[in-house]
Amino acid sequence: MDVDPNGKAVSMAHKSVTWSRYKYPQSLIRYGVYLFTVVFIGYSLHYLNIPIERFYTMFGLGGSILSRYYPPDIAYALDKDYLRYVFETVQMAYVGTLLGVVISIPIAWCASFNVTPSRWLVYPIARFIIMASRSVHEMIWAILFVIILGYGMLPGVLALTLFTIGFAGKLFSEEVEAIKMGPVEAIRATGGNSLQVMVYAVLPQVKVAWTGISIYTWDSSFRAATVLGYFGAGGMGWYLKQTIETLENLKVSAILLSIIMLVIVSEVTSAWARGA
Amino acid sequence: MNPSSIQIRLERVVALRKRYKAIRYFFYFILFLLVLYSIKITVIEDTDWERIGGLGMVAKAMGRFLPPDLSVVKYLFKPTVETFMIACLGTMLAVVLSIPVIWLGAHNITPFFAVTYPLGRSLMTLSRSVNEIVWALIFVAAVGLGAFPGILAIAMRSVGFVAKTTAEAIEDVNTGPIEAIKAVGGSRFQVIRYAILPQILPIFISLVIFQWDINIRRATITGLVGAGGLGLTIQRQLLMYNYGGVTTVILAMLVLIGIGEVVSYYARRAII
Repeated sequence: MDVDPNGKAVSMAHKSVTWSRYKYPQSLIRYGVYLFTVVFIGYSLHYLNIPIERFYTMFGLGGSILSRYYPPDIAYALDKDYLRYVFETVQMAYVGTLLGVVISIPIAWCASFNVTPSRWLVYPIARFIIMASRSVHEMIWAILFVIILGYGMLPGVLALTLFTIGFAGKLFSEEVEAIKMGPVEAIRATGGNSLQVMVYAVLPQVKVAWTGISIYTWDSSFRAATVLGYFGAGGMGWYLKQTIETLENLKVSAILLSIIMLVIVSEVTSAWARGA
Repeated sequence: MNPSSIQIRLERVVALRKRYKAIRYFFYFILFLLVLYSIKITVIEDTDWERIGGLGMVAKAMGRFLPPDLSVVKYLFKPTVETFMIACLGTMLAVVLSIPVIWLGAHNITPFFAVTYPLGRSLMTLSRSVNEIVWALIFVAAVGLGAFPGILAIAMRSVGFVAKTTAEAIEDVNTGPIEAIKAVGGSRFQVIRYAILPQILPIFISLVIFQWDINIRRATITGLVGAGGLGLTIQRQLLMYNYGGVTTVILAMLVLIGIGEVVSYYARRAII
């Protein structure tokens, strides 16, 4: 007779010889999950009508497709007009992010549960603003603003502003919710109102983190800005659309290369700025 | 040390501080000018103010989106399910593709450091630096229209984030178990399987769920360039200038993304 951890007697004959990590109900659930995953993959492949054989032909054609894009037309990417658009893209990302960060500071203040001025009125509204601007993809925002305001960089800037509010606002308020409450209580005890609490107790604690988040947001919104022009919202994306629709593959590959280069530059810059 | 030398040192420190302050304000001033210049270029000069004309016109332009055109609803079910499936399959494919990239790009398990580590890192950067729209365009050119290029585009886009964050988690793992497995004669593969995998699995799964949540958002727009899902429906409504229909499709997107957010929140809470 053997004794199990609960102290009940268990006869050795009932124990299985091989050790398995998961006991009966868990193992069944695990196999159920595996089965469900396989069935789900199979059903969705069927539902989406996916021609798997094209996947293999993609590799077969891979050489010929790549050769259509090679060599990239580097001269096109160094063209003065194009470089001007690149510069405008950088500015668009810059202005949009800055505007978004400035707006998201009060929103983050209202959307942090621990320091919000009013938990029943302002908190849900601020949460909703962040949720709504996060949920709609920045490309959709760009399309909507282009319809309302016309082509140009203003819709791009506004789309990036909303993107920043959703992105930075959420991270900002998460940062505020993680602060030490000691200073907040100290300011409240001396009779400070909630604005004073924000300025003297919260801001000093989150300043560094917020700066890091802002730089990271700038990096992300720059990535988005490179493509916003595809929907008419200014910047280099417009060139991408033009060259794709006229099937000038060599120019397309040059533009893609320039996007990748720019993003790498911005990533290095933002890593350096966050380190500093 | 006599009082006068202290006095001199104090003055020097104060002067230095003043200079730093001046430099800092100068820097802020330059930054401010740059901002003004950028705003002038992007917003003031580039915008066709006459077309926008007054707030009333803007309000009128926005008014075209209301009320939502509910007759579109019956065409929305299939694309919504499609978007959901594209996001799921794309995330699964990204998980599969990210495993070799993680193996190459985490510096404590990479096989040949000098060659494979930079390779893995640059694959991560490449995947993250190209926007999902561009990936979708590339795959539409490669495999044709439909949901398939959307899945591939989303998978390619998410590999970078999943691989980078997991590789960083692997670099931070507790080295005790690794040494223990090595000490009993485990091979490289056994070290990864029994010492590293159990430590990073919860992080990895929560990352994947987080990425799945983002991928639903991405899957709503890959259709704009012909890669299936709700984006295709919104494109169709835009081409018909049916702005009420656009609003309805956006509402459907919000519902789908909301569900994704709630599910991912509780799933991540259950794991951590």
